[in-house]
Amino acid sequence: MIFSDTYTIFWREMKRYRKSRSGVLIRLIQPAVWIIVIGNTFAGTRPLIQSVGFNGSYIEFMAPGVIMLTAIFTSIFGGVNTLWDRRYGFMNKALTSPISRSSIAVGKMLAISLISALQSSLILGIALALGVGIANYLMIIPIMLIVIAFSLGFSGISVIVAATAKSQETFWGVINFLGMPLFMLSPALFPLELLPHWLAFIAKLNPVTYSVLLIREMMTGTAQVFSIAIDVAVICGFVAIMVAFASYAFTREVNKPF
Amino acid sequence: MKEKTSTARIIGTIIFFALKNLLHNVHAAIYLRIFVIPIYNPKIVCLLLYAVETRSLSKVYGNGLKAVDEISIKIEEGEIFGFLGPNGAGKSTTIMVLTTLLKPTSGKAYVAGFDVVMEAKKVRQNIGYVQQESTVDEYLTGRENLELQARLNHIPKNYIKKRIDDIIDLVELSDRQHDAVVTYSGGMRKRLDIAGGLLHRPKVLFLDEPTLGLDIQTRYKIWDYIRNIHKEFGMSIFLTTHYMEEADKLCDNISIIDHGKIKVTGSPKALKNALGNEVVVFEVDSDLKLENLLSELKKLPLVKNVTTERYEITIFSPSGNQVTPKIFELTGKLGVKIESITLTKPTLDDVFLSHTGRELREESEGFNRKKEREKMRRLRA
Repeated sequence: MIFSDTYTIFWREMKRYRKSRSGVLIRLIQPAVWIIVIGNTFAGTRPLIQSVGFNGSYIEFMAPGVIMLTAIFTSIFGGVNTLWDRRYGFMNKALTSPISRSSIAVGKMLAISLISALQSSLILGIALALGVGIANYLMIIPIMLIVIAFSLGFSGISVIVAATAKSQETFWGVINFLGMPLFMLSPALFPLELLPHWLAFIAKLNPVTYSVLLIREMMTGTAQVFSIAIDVAVICGFVAIMVAFASYAFTREVNKPF
Repeated sequence: MKEKTSTARIIGTIIFFALKNLLHNVHAAIYLRIFVIPIYNPKIVCLLLYAVETRSLSKVYGNGLKAVDEISIKIEEGEIFGFLGPNGAGKSTTIMVLTTLLKPTSGKAYVAGFDVVMEAKKVRQNIGYVQQESTVDEYLTGRENLELQARLNHIPKNYIKKRIDDIIDLVELSDRQHDAVVTYSGGMRKRLDIAGGLLHRPKVLFLDEPTLGLDIQTRYKIWDYIRNIHKEFGMSIFLTTHYMEEADKLCDNISIIDHGKIKVTGSPKALKNALGNEVVVFEVDSDLKLENLLSELKKLPLVKNVTTERYEITIFSPSGNQVTPKIFELTGKLGVKIESITLTKPTLDDVFLSHTGRELREESEGFNRKKEREKMRRLRA
């Protein structure tokens, strides 16, 4: 039952997404600007990057970072409709029906992560069109799986903040406070090896770091079994914790008066 | 004797819960009425025979506001029950408790025979809730909205299509079912909302202000729909409204709530009769001797109640014809001039005002932000 309930919510979110197609392209503009402008601005750092063993242009180095940027922001913003749902009564409708509270949270998160993967795949397409090389085109599939898993974890943050925040202002304040640092404190734009020790230490606590490294290794085809195992384990652990925590927090919050 | 009662109580309760879980519905109550009550003490189970029952139900919010104060209501199966009250009287809070959205602070509430706290899931399976504001997804079509509602309420897959076809006919939306709801008018959205609440054939349907903000034609139409669905499905309906006319036309029984307390309960007719069968309204030219006049009027025989609003005095009486000459006599004696006088029947408006008073509700006292936000939401919806 819990699977079909989750699917019901997922189905509804995807329907809504499909009907609001205009947003898709608008949300692609920012990452596209990143990849074009930042990718070329820092083209001169190529020797630095090569010094830590990356054989490619800077734009190839940062493309996985921008894919993750898209994934982070799509998924972390995705939960905002939870606030609308609470305000406009859909949430009450769902809460007074027999489906379980956690399936509402998880259904939303699954929809957000799929949408996030769709957006990221478009950015990957832009990157490839700009001449970023990929060792093996079959790698796109596992890359997308990683993006889906990662986004599922991040959408958890979004759902927790949306369920706890009572207003749009609080939601956007918290989300903007979280989103940028998570992206910056990772090797998305610059190699970890060249960061000061304390920054590198903080970055290693960030799940974004592991996703960026994993995707980068997959794109260049330099992945080692051992490092893949660590990265995948970290991402899976992160996702499991976020799903559990998000459904707990969501269930607790929606039982309070809005 | 006492011992026998408590044994009966236990056995009765066991049988009740066994039946309830076996049958998953309120019909358990009917079986009990037939089989159990004649054998055992009726006291045990009668409390579970109602479609909705609350016992000393209270809800206190975090800020100390007592929104619902020890209310006890009983709604029979198949009854249309009207829940009336001024803004901020506690109607919405009561509905939220009964639909399991809020937990009561104290007291008990049973819907379709299930406890709203302990058996929330069973309650949710047996209720339909049509909220005040439109809750349909605007970018989905009417039919998709109903499909979503059907899935939310666990209607088996092979029934969904037929149920939707039936209900969409009933609310006369079949020709627009494949259009996005964003193109629907307010009345059509409301109909779609009501259809959604009915799809899973609930035992109890909650209608929160079903005609708020709709024009007269649409309002009459919605009343027709409510009557039709009630005739067809025979469920109990819990209706809140601001429109006295609506309560008068639709409801078998009404309760008036104010400041969280039930002021009066009864059928609309009985409540109107209780005020007196007739109302005399007259206007005087000045308020100079008003106090004096009022106290004299109250002393008159056959006068049940007197209310005033500026120069207008309203008298409730079982016999207006006999009171009217006395009024002239009295005003003549006091030297007060009557500008106009009318003799009418009491309406539910009079009942409502006599129980809740005329003063405007200051929603700011203690309600603060939460209440304000709710108000904004209503305005926008």
